[in-house]
Amino acid sequence: MVVFFVIPLLLTVVWSVFERTMFWMEPGFTLFSYENFFFSARLENFVVSMLHSSVSVFFSFLIGFPIAVFIRRRVAKIAQHRVMLLFILPFMVSEIIRIFALRPILSRNGLINNFLMDFNFIDSPISAFVFTPTGVVIGEIVSFLPFMIFSTFLALEAIPNYVFEVCADLGVNRRRMFKDILLPLAAPGLFAGGVFIFVNGIGIALIPTILGGPGSVNAGLIATQAIIALDFPLAMAVSAIMMFTLMGLLFIGHKLFNLTKLLEPIS
Amino acid sequence: MTLRDDFQPIWKLLLKWLWLSFVVFVLMAPVFYTMYISFNKLGFGAKIYTFTFQWYINVFSDKQLLTALGWTMILAGITLPIVIPFGLLSAKFYKKSHNKVWIVFVLLSPLFVPADILGSALLVFFKNLNKIFTFLSDHTGLYFLETWFDLGIMTAVIGLIVYTLPYVFVVIMITMARYRPEQTEAARDLGATAWRAFWEIEFPQIRAGVFSACAFVVILTFNEYTRTSLLKGGFDTFTSVLISQMLNTGMSEESYAMASIVSLVAIIIVAVILISTSISKEKLEKQTRRINEPAIK
Repeated sequence: MVVFFVIPLLLTVVWSVFERTMFWMEPGFTLFSYENFFFSARLENFVVSMLHSSVSVFFSFLIGFPIAVFIRRRVAKIAQHRVMLLFILPFMVSEIIRIFALRPILSRNGLINNFLMDFNFIDSPISAFVFTPTGVVIGEIVSFLPFMIFSTFLALEAIPNYVFEVCADLGVNRRRMFKDILLPLAAPGLFAGGVFIFVNGIGIALIPTILGGPGSVNAGLIATQAIIALDFPLAMAVSAIMMFTLMGLLFIGHKLFNLTKLLEPIS
Repeated sequence: MTLRDDFQPIWKLLLKWLWLSFVVFVLMAPVFYTMYISFNKLGFGAKIYTFTFQWYINVFSDKQLLTALGWTMILAGITLPIVIPFGLLSAKFYKKSHNKVWIVFVLLSPLFVPADILGSALLVFFKNLNKIFTFLSDHTGLYFLETWFDLGIMTAVIGLIVYTLPYVFVVIMITMARYRPEQTEAARDLGATAWRAFWEIEFPQIRAGVFSACAFVVILTFNEYTRTSLLKGGFDTFTSVLISQMLNTGMSEESYAMASIVSLVAIIIVAVILISTSISKEKLEKQTRRINEPAIK
């Protein structure tokens, strides 16, 4: 893993400052690739994709957190992992197939528009579901929500039952339970899930390609387009920026919430 | 469940189950809808639904696709025997080590790195390695080194190992959590070698996890597109054929059928794991109950 994961990712920083040649790159030192990224429309695309990812993280939290809490607190201990498997099941079906299959569901003559029109909720089909930022956010939520639920559940699993019992005995209300008990204790899981969705939202090229329409670009797409255009230093600069974003977020998360706590129930 | 929860109205509980089921349904809806369309003779968007297996017959008579399926199986067949022992060793090493943060970081961060970014980094890494190995072979006369890191099966397998190892690690860790290490210590005290203690005492108890990890590796290999397509070189895999068809000609009826096949295989494998683990769990619980029953009633 060190040779084929850590080293290639670290070397992206070195390759990103190499000089571009016709078909490859040669050793040297230039910041042209970074200039090419930060002083062009690419930066705007990157920031916009970060915004979309943040919206996806927010909605995934809104949908996923109550589900993780419900499974941890209301489902019998013996059945909890089986219920979690229901959310792992969509994760096991190819992400690409799930994203592609959203097109016929969200398109103008797709399942949702047909349903809404058949029941007279709308008069004409809604075209904002696909080939728009909404489509990208829907795609990200459908693709990555299981991870938010899974990591939050893992964090909640480490909380002993007596914590909830003591709270109930002391008459803690729902708001305080959420603010002072569930949220702080689930924080490592929520953070891990949030980082996963955020980074993959800006890094997976297929979601904007398939659901985002012509103007939708993220870091992953910039990197793959740079490789197709044989601009390897630019692709490596984007990879290095993504790597630093990810490492920075994970470092902050670990300092704040100690992310290794997530593995405590299984170690 | 706390005291206060026992008195929660049943409709509230039902509502929560309904919400949970709805979310699972929404997450799976694209897959089910794909399957639904794949059996329609007239394809997507048709008002009339006529059931047919025609698109599946077309898929299975497509030679290019069958070759791609073969390559995917070869990739899974090579990745599996490498990544499972790696996963086992990593989990054992993690349990024994004191500084767990770095191990977790190295083993789990591939989960967080987007496919396009890791794929691009590995592609450039292999291209550079290839140049170094070509240089070495030219200057040392060891010509077999020249093609070592040419894009092909080996590079694709390495990409798949980096991608699947975190999943294998987590699945094996979950099953290992239930194993009591005192049993290994007892076996070693009785004179068993480390290998024998592992193979005859520990492995039978974590076997379910190891098999689940194998199934996950096969599923992930079949599903994987981005990293493999960047690292595979000349041959095609099942998903690369599917995606190129989808991107170049749009979703044809055959594409729906292919997507359904991949999804169905994954669902069946997960269902088999779920059923077999719950059966073995029940067996184990029965056994434990029988052992714990008092000898004289």
